[in-house]
Amino acid sequence: MITLENVSKVYPLGKDSAVTAVRELCLQIDLGEFVIIVGRSGSGKTTLLNLSAGLTRPTSGNVIFNGTDLWSLSDKQQSYLRSQNIGFIFQFPSLLPTLTVHENVILPTVFANKVTSDHTPDRAKQLLQQVGLVEKMAAYPRQLSAGQQQRVVIARAMMNHPVVLLADEPTSNLDERTELEIMELFRDLHRSMGITIIMVTHTRQLVSYGTRAVEMAEGRIINGK
Amino acid sequence: MNIFHLALKNISGNSFRSGVVALCAFLVAAFALTTTLLMRGAENSLRLAIDRLGADIVVVPSGSEAKVESALLMGVPARIWMPQNNVNIIANLSGIEAASPQLYLATLTGASCCSVSDMFMIAFDPATDFTIQPWLKQNLGDDLRLGEVVGGSYISATEGDQNIRIYGYLVTLKANLEPTGTGLDQSMFFTFTTAQDIARKSVTQAEEPLEIPPDSISAVLVKAQPGVDLYDLSAQIVRVVPDVTPILSSDMFQSYRTQMTGLLKTILVIMGITWGLSVVLIGLVFSMAANERRKELGVVRAIGATRQFVFQSLLMEASLLAVLGGVTGIGLAVLFVFLFKKLIVVSLGFPFLLPSPSVLIFQIFIGMLLALFSVNLAALFPAIRISRQDPAVAMRE
Repeated sequence: MITLENVSKVYPLGKDSAVTAVRELCLQIDLGEFVIIVGRSGSGKTTLLNLSAGLTRPTSGNVIFNGTDLWSLSDKQQSYLRSQNIGFIFQFPSLLPTLTVHENVILPTVFANKVTSDHTPDRAKQLLQQVGLVEKMAAYPRQLSAGQQQRVVIARAMMNHPVVLLADEPTSNLDERTELEIMELFRDLHRSMGITIIMVTHTRQLVSYGTRAVEMAEGRIINGK
Repeated sequence: MNIFHLALKNISGNSFRSGVVALCAFLVAAFALTTTLLMRGAENSLRLAIDRLGADIVVVPSGSEAKVESALLMGVPARIWMPQNNVNIIANLSGIEAASPQLYLATLTGASCCSVSDMFMIAFDPATDFTIQPWLKQNLGDDLRLGEVVGGSYISATEGDQNIRIYGYLVTLKANLEPTGTGLDQSMFFTFTTAQDIARKSVTQAEEPLEIPPDSISAVLVKAQPGVDLYDLSAQIVRVVPDVTPILSSDMFQSYRTQMTGLLKTILVIMGITWGLSVVLIGLVFSMAANERRKELGVVRAIGATRQFVFQSLLMEASLLAVLGGVTGIGLAVLFVFLFKKLIVVSLGFPFLLPSPSVLIFQIFIGMLLALFSVNLAALFPAIRISRQDPAVAMRE
């Protein structure tokens, strides 16, 4: 489903210096997999995730999503592909502070041109029920705990029925108990809906939740290709 | 939910930033509209005042041009005299269609025999007059009789329903002229016969008598025959009538126009500075906001928003704030000008007349357009910059 072919990403740091985050990396992720990418800080995990979704352009190599080279698409086509197929969960608080929980959850439908659908509010409510926050629909993100916010983000990521969830260290800011709750939620989504999940983490203990583990160091895959 | 809803949510969620941008739009719109209204109002008013005079040339005693202008423009009474015979000499010149004399009079200051202090009054000769008479015929269908007066738009009865006391003499206010926004609105018009009657009776009824020097007039209004060169006619008048100055209606209020041009230039400079500072301030506020919201906009791009959507949503916010500030600014500017229009004319001596509704709507539209243009111009660069950013880079600290 997602194929990275000899992908490299170099970030320029100044006039004469640059840092290579990902080096000639090849990776194939198939439909229905729950891939956990582990590695230390600076190993290139987040860059790999961003490259997989077309959030940053590779310096070299190709990123293929469902047979389509992401960078052969226009910005509009790429955005549409993301809104239709990919759900994102970020490490940092990523809910829009001026929108309510309910509005945050239905936000992706605005970009997928599904906002007028009669089912949108029901779908949002159902997802919030699934993550146990239906009673917080009218609340604003600042009124929620970090764990609750992350669960709302998961509901938002699921809103457009994505085929793949990309999660960038989704539990790094959470306490141990909430981390387990979130991971259970991921496992449920994967098992019950067969959704593909690619999750980046630096916590090795979480590898057991996935169906495959990939280890990265210095921009390369060192284990689990 | 749509782009409009999102923009509204962002505006209400960032009240300080929104307030600063709306305030700048408010200043730009209010200042631009007030300035245009006042300057156009003054022009309008001067044009109407000249139309009201209805003369091609006003002949006044030499050296009294400024006094006449002040009297007509600001209602400051002028006491100027020249021989009555001048009107006959002028009337007999070739190229003259009509020549009519006028007397410029004034009420006393702080005297109980006069209801209004220092009021400028114009007496005209109904036999030759071509300015007030046609208006009377058209609007009243009758001439003014002895003791009857016509007032400018701000003149109202002070004794009973219709009377005004002048030098102890009760005159009857027959009608009011349409506003011109000049001193003419605070002036009163009556016939030579009424003027003479007031003068005669004031000797016994007033604290000081109204003095009209014998065989004297204040000015001669001249109407030229069609096609006659007014400069040649003026030169002719100067040649045959001693100690007078003919003022062409097109040159009327020239000193005032010069002052107004200077004022206009100053106001334009201040407006330019205000506009420039507002655009810079709005640009800074939007730049700061765009930087502050980099991560948030990166997230929005990641979950499916196009570059165009981000760009449009930022400009939508800018436009909504421009409309909010602009409408408030324009509303207050119109209210200010409407409420204080009389004060502007009477107290400041500034000729001013509200424009017609269609012109006012056009000026409001231009003010709104300026506010929208300014805010969008300032927001344009930050919007382009942030919408073109890589989502991954935007989300990184």
